[in-house]
Amino acid sequence: MSQPVLSIHNITKTFGGFVALNDVSIELHPGEIHAVLGENGAGKSTLLNILAGITQPTRGDIKLNGIPVAFSSAVDAAKAGIGMVHQHFMLVPTLSATENLILADMVENRAWFAWPAGPVRRRIAAQAESFGWDIDLDARIDTQTIGAQQRLEILKALQGERKILLLDEPTAVLTPGELPGFFATIRSIAATGTAVVIITHKLDEVVSVADKVTVLRRGRVVNQCLTADTDVSNLAREMVGDASNAFAVLTAVKQKYTASDNGNIRVELSHAAAISGDSVLRQGSASIQEGEIFGIAGVDGNGQDALAALLTGNTILHEGSLTIGDLVITPHRKCTPQDFLRNGVSYIPADRQTDGLVMSMTIADNILLDRVSEPPFTKFGMFIDTVAVKRFAQSEIERFDIRPADAGCIVSTLSGGNQQKVVIARAMSRKPRVLVAVNPTRGLDVGAIAYVHRALRAATAAGCAVVLISTELDEILALSDRIAVLFEGRLSETVPAGVSKVDLGHLMGGAIN
Amino acid sequence: MIRNSALSFTIALLWIVIATSTCAGIVMIAGASPMSVAQALLQGAIGTQYNISNTLVQTIPLLITALAVVIAFRAEMFNIGVEGQFLLGAVLACWAGQLSVPGPLAIVVTLVASMLGGALWSLIPALMLHFRGVQIVLSSLIMNFIAVQVVAWVVRGPLQESIREYPQSDPIRTAAELPKVIAGLQLHSGIWIALAIALLFDVLVRNTVFGQHLKAVGSGSRASKTMGLPVSRILVTTVLLSGALGGLAGGIQIAGVTHFLADPYSKGYGYTAIAVALLARLSPIGAIPAALLFGALTSGSSAAQSAGIPVVVLQVIQAVILFSILGARFTANSLRNKLAKGATA
Repeated sequence: MSQPVLSIHNITKTFGGFVALNDVSIELHPGEIHAVLGENGAGKSTLLNILAGITQPTRGDIKLNGIPVAFSSAVDAAKAGIGMVHQHFMLVPTLSATENLILADMVENRAWFAWPAGPVRRRIAAQAESFGWDIDLDARIDTQTIGAQQRLEILKALQGERKILLLDEPTAVLTPGELPGFFATIRSIAATGTAVVIITHKLDEVVSVADKVTVLRRGRVVNQCLTADTDVSNLAREMVGDASNAFAVLTAVKQKYTASDNGNIRVELSHAAAISGDSVLRQGSASIQEGEIFGIAGVDGNGQDALAALLTGNTILHEGSLTIGDLVITPHRKCTPQDFLRNGVSYIPADRQTDGLVMSMTIADNILLDRVSEPPFTKFGMFIDTVAVKRFAQSEIERFDIRPADAGCIVSTLSGGNQQKVVIARAMSRKPRVLVAVNPTRGLDVGAIAYVHRALRAATAAGCAVVLISTELDEILALSDRIAVLFEGRLSETVPAGVSKVDLGHLMGGAIN
Repeated sequence: MIRNSALSFTIALLWIVIATSTCAGIVMIAGASPMSVAQALLQGAIGTQYNISNTLVQTIPLLITALAVVIAFRAEMFNIGVEGQFLLGAVLACWAGQLSVPGPLAIVVTLVASMLGGALWSLIPALMLHFRGVQIVLSSLIMNFIAVQVVAWVVRGPLQESIREYPQSDPIRTAAELPKVIAGLQLHSGIWIALAIALLFDVLVRNTVFGQHLKAVGSGSRASKTMGLPVSRILVTTVLLSGALGGLAGGIQIAGVTHFLADPYSKGYGYTAIAVALLARLSPIGAIPAALLFGALTSGSSAAQSAGIPVVVLQVIQAVILFSILGARFTANSLRNKLAKGATA
């Protein structure tokens, strides 16, 4: 086997008390495509930033062609032959391709002026041609397609005979139609002897392009192997974790779901499509009954945000139909989150600090955020009955064991678990008939996780239909009565709770039905 | 607590010394005696019954426009178009004040018209925000320039005096004038309206549903929207309320002070109001002393100016006083933070 062009040994990186990378080792060989796979927060970006010289490891060595090196900046790494393409392109939109490459060169060499463009342009044109790319080097960046911009970024990263190319989530910006071309590009670059590292959380990409794969979970390498020796469902399971963690203990919380098919249907999704930001729900159909927890599994970024926004009135329905509680939503009908709340649909959003809470307000203010305008909290229709508000908030604080038990406490001073309890208290206090919960335990400790799970189970006992959208497979398995999987914006058929992890892994990797 | 108040006192003293010596230096460079300038300023602001009245007359439009800014800024709606809303309020008040409305109704009609004028002027930016997401800070500012032209046009067109000589309107009817507080002095009963609105706003922001919504929306958190607050409605209401208040300030200026419209009309109250509101830290009650300070500075300066002190020197002194207050606040905050950090470490 050839000597690795770049290798890292036992790299550990901590931020304060948080261990982002724990004892990670990777070897890169010339001409090899190496995928680094992991969930959000698994440590992929930290690893990439260390390879690119942007951050420095707390412990561990980096060797370039067998010689120990220490990069103190991205420019250092670039000079050593490592080029990086960021997820968000670093091109000046108003300049041409040639001008952008000259600018990059100037920055790297700390030059004060640029040489005439001719030779640079010829060099780039030759390189583009060697890859078989047809790029307009004189058109402004903002007139070019995303695919073309990405190729320019790659050309920029490969300037100066670089032998290592790092790609951060390169396919996130591409349409499905652009993918085959992109993979061909990567292969042709590798064929010239360049080592390519791709960071991604999309499983099918790994299998279709990479030679080797490293799976990261919570900062540790859980598997490192040749792509040929694994498959999509194995990778999916390794990525989201085994039952050996906190969730296994919580399976006990689950009471077997006994409702038959003739239970009241609370949410009826039929061929629904919606968009929220860059999240797309292409097609989803499901019927969710009262008294059940309906788990929606899937790797992050497969349409979860759009589905949650659709179910809570935060985005409009594009196609299909949706009946939720008493609301019948038709395509393009304007609906507000307020309409959904008033019709018994409560929401525990994924990001409690931005979507769930007004951090600068008190516990009482947050619990009654959307309800202070309703009786019995108002006097004469417009004044707030502070006594009623305080009494109600205090009773909810006790019911949900929020600490400190002080209604006037500012929410930003609370721990994550207690902040989440405030969100849950508000969601439950409306006695919802449908509860939409997205990653409700993200970032919480084991005790708080158990608490949240009990609260969701308690909601179903009160007849509520719970839609649990979670990227934690174990959470889905521990709580759900029935499960569907989101993959690339499509919701799979509903499967019963007894489904095996292997089967779910298949679904999460895109093997729909 | 004791250490805290001692600290505040020391900082205040320090900044008073800084402000005084800077002002004295500037006056001496300008070739005047610091003592006589200080005396002229003080005399002009509070020296006589007449001057006190003048200070309060200057305070009234500043206070009302500042409250307009306070309410909008609290919702992070940066309405810097209060100047334009003030002008439109004045235009409509001038028109309504000339209608033959029976007795005591005249004043009410005049002031309500001014509020409608201001609200309508702010409705345009509000609609642009609601339907097209245009930033209020930009659209409301542009509306100011249009308002100036509207005033210039009406006093040469529909509202020009009947003898058609100068670009100014006929006076409003006596019934539409705000009564004076004390006979013989300029001070008019608009002062009570201004104070009442400040108190009302204090209740509004602290004890009402609207105030609570304002707080949630003004925190800039996305949670207000995701969690079902009618964010757009709250923002539009806020902008309209702010505009109505700006208009009322213009109406009160017509009904209480000038009694007719001329071109140009405003002394930039709508702009000064932003400084007043920020000095008051967006507190409706705090706006009262802040507006008083600006009123006193304006009144004192005009008196000192007639005593022969160059207007530039007076403007510099006003600026130094403002910066010193902000400087004192900044020093106190950063010191307090450092102490708090030291206590926890």
